[in-house]
Amino acid sequence: MALLKTRIVAPSLMLQTSFRALRRPNLSHALLSLSRTISSTSPAAHPRSPHTLVDWRTMAPQDISKYLRQTHDKVFEHNKAWAAEKCSKDPEFFAHLSAGQNPEYLWIGCSDSRIPAEQITGLEAGDVFVHRNIANLVCNTDLNAMSVITYAVEHLKVKHIVVCGHYGCGGVKAAMTPKDMGILNPWLRNIRDVYRLHEKELDAIADEETRYNRLVELNVMEQCRNVIKSASVQKSYAENKFPIVHGWVFGFHDGLLKDLNLDFEKVLADIQKIYNLTES
Amino acid sequence: MKTDQDTFLYALSSNNAWAGYKAHQNPDFFPKLASGQSPPILWLGCSDSRCPETTILGLQPGDVFVHRNIANIISPTDINTSAVIEYAVVHLKVKHVVLCGHTACGGAAASLADTRVGGVLDTWLTPLKAVRAANQEALDAIRDSQARIARIAELNVEAGVKVLMANWTIQEAVRERGLEVHGVLFDIATGRIRDLGFGTKPGGGAGAAGEEVRGRHAQLVFRGSNASMAAK
Ligand SMILES: [Zn+2]
Ligand SMILES: [Zn+2]
Repeated sequence: MALLKTRIVAPSLMLQTSFRALRRPNLSHALLSLSRTISSTSPAAHPRSPHTLVDWRTMAPQDISKYLRQTHDKVFEHNKAWAAEKCSKDPEFFAHLSAGQNPEYLWIGCSDSRIPAEQITGLEAGDVFVHRNIANLVCNTDLNAMSVITYAVEHLKVKHIVVCGHYGCGGVKAAMTPKDMGILNPWLRNIRDVYRLHEKELDAIADEETRYNRLVELNVMEQCRNVIKSASVQKSYAENKFPIVHGWVFGFHDGLLKDLNLDFEKVLADIQKIYNLTES
Repeated sequence: MKTDQDTFLYALSSNNAWAGYKAHQNPDFFPKLASGQSPPILWLGCSDSRCPETTILGLQPGDVFVHRNIANIISPTDINTSAVIEYAVVHLKVKHVVLCGHTACGGAAASLADTRVGGVLDTWLTPLKAVRAANQEALDAIRDSQARIARIAELNVEAGVKVLMANWTIQEAVRERGLEVHGVLFDIATGRIRDLGFGTKPGGGAGAAGEEVRGRHAQLVFRGSNASMAAK
């Protein structure tokens, strides 16, 4: 499987970004309000562009403090100004959340308790439609996940679909354990199939943890393919040039997301040789 | 105006800020996460973007094992949900299973409409259609459409809890180690969770001293007809 280095740059589609900050009185303890404030910033509020991410791990402690204080001060300022502006323009802004949702992302992730989609991405209530299952699998005959994709694409018109796996996934490890796991068998079998598709590459990795980590990545890429095989994604992309499908992996050791740089248009073209469900 | 690409990069860049903040605030945070999970709660909820479970509960990464689908439907033969339940109850030994519906649910609204939703969705929503058929008169009597949607969401939770209580794995864990099953409703307009009183403690635990679900940084308290969140 080719992990192309080029990040897909979407057509010049202009979208409204919706960074809503939902204020709930019962969620106002310091930690949450702080992380909420971080999350309600726009990319411009970060001191560097996402392409030159600051690596806080290589900083001296006093520099980290300074960096965080600066980013937070900035973020607070932006947030205050933004909230005040929203309220002055539309006093009902925060009440509108109950009127409907308009998320731009569909997140397909693992059920693992350590990966709450909204918190790790800094996205707000209302920003991301979420499906989470064991080992972030997307199976053709699973009406549960397929219903989520259909609803998100056709009814909510999400712009991005993210399949997010994580290193050290218990589901992936369980799938490769020689053991009868009852009702888990039919579900976890899909991961063994991913291994079989990439048997040579995986067998060549001597270190067990490295091999599992690679299987986690390959599983994410395979599930991205399965998302792209769906009729709703193919039809919507032909018509609207969205959604775009991305494969990410979350690492517990540093809390960072890794983009596997799926070349969406190329994968889509490859897939449609056999799985084309559009009438073009 | 922002480009599509900006929207996408936003999530990645704010993840970087979040990771930096968390690690700075508590250097043990990520090493601890990497060492494994033992969440006290299995959350079964709706995919709706307005119901971020860990945030709603005021909990932290590591506290809540999560499955979210369209309209939080618990279908007995759905392998996806069944695998989640099996993994959470048998392998992670969660102490609470919380099935959460919510007000203004799009799936609930769709089940009250008389039009096809399309694709695989109509098949998925069949259990909810059955709930509607079984309660047609009572639902018709509700004049306000949002109130009717909230009511079918409650009935859906009740039906889902019945399916959970009939699940062999859950039954065994309830008997052997006191696993608790709760049915709750999240009110999007107020941000509050209400215990509907279905499950292992019928009647919403009325008169009971209250049940606490402890996370690492906060706890979910079931008391009387209410469930609330308290920070530690
Ligand atoms: Zn996992
Ligand atoms: Zn819903």
